[in-house]
Amino acid sequence: MDSLADVLTAVSHPSRRAIIRRLAESGPARFTDIAEPFDLALNAITKHLKLLERAGLISRERRGREVLISFRGEPLREVAQWVHEYETFWNERLDTFEKYFKDKRRKERKR
Amino acid sequence: MKANGNTIEFKFERTIPASPEELFDGWLDPKIPGTTWNAAEKFVLDPKVDGLFFWHLRGTSHYGRFTEVQRPGRIQHTWVSPNTLGKESTVTVTFTKQGDKTLMTLVHSGLPDHELARSHENGWNYFLGIYQEQFGNGSRKDYRWEEAHPPAKGR
Repeated sequence: MDSLADVLTAVSHPSRRAIIRRLAESGPARFTDIAEPFDLALNAITKHLKLLERAGLISRERRGREVLISFRGEPLREVAQWVHEYETFWNERLDTFEKYFKDKRRKERKR
Repeated sequence: MKANGNTIEFKFERTIPASPEELFDGWLDPKIPGTTWNAAEKFVLDPKVDGLFFWHLRGTSHYGRFTEVQRPGRIQHTWVSPNTLGKESTVTVTFTKQGDKTLMTLVHSGLPDHELARSHENGWNYFLGIYQEQFGNGSRKDYRWEEAHPPAKGR
């Protein structure tokens, strides 16, 4: 498996994206802090972290008696190069179009 | 993927709480947010077979010709912009009734596969969109690399 496929596999699961998001927003964290919001077995979290580590999206660093896990954004940049402009364009347009009709139906039901 | 004369195709799907007629009419109404011509600085729109369109936004012009206009199920038009390198690509939009909702499918095909059409900035915006989607309630499907990047025909 090449590194691009590793990164795509890593970001293909909502739990792993949630882990990345938390680390990107709040900074380095301990394993127990990462696992805490999830209703998952600890070995499932361990597997998610292994996949993220293999993709280079997280790194582990020992500080005293603790191991801190940090987000690494560089591999996502590599993936971003492969995203076509029209994927962004049409997704944004269709999301806006969908939202307009969802809001419209919500308003109609309130009447 | 590199520029070698091949083309690529993208497919998008949304399930929207409205009838196919509402969505068909809405998609051709430049006043509705999210439509192709909405937010354009200048546009021309003649949505009938062999009718032409033009729209201009942030320094880029897009041109096309309607090839199918079948209310309420299907709209197809060509699409020419700097990103198509002057070649005609094709946009096909279909609306299929699903109970009290409609499955809307948009396929943009015949796009030249070249580096000009990619950018780091857009890629990052797209990933941010995925995160937003994860916590929103839109009908965008989870991102699948294989679906978003099908093998180009003729390879």
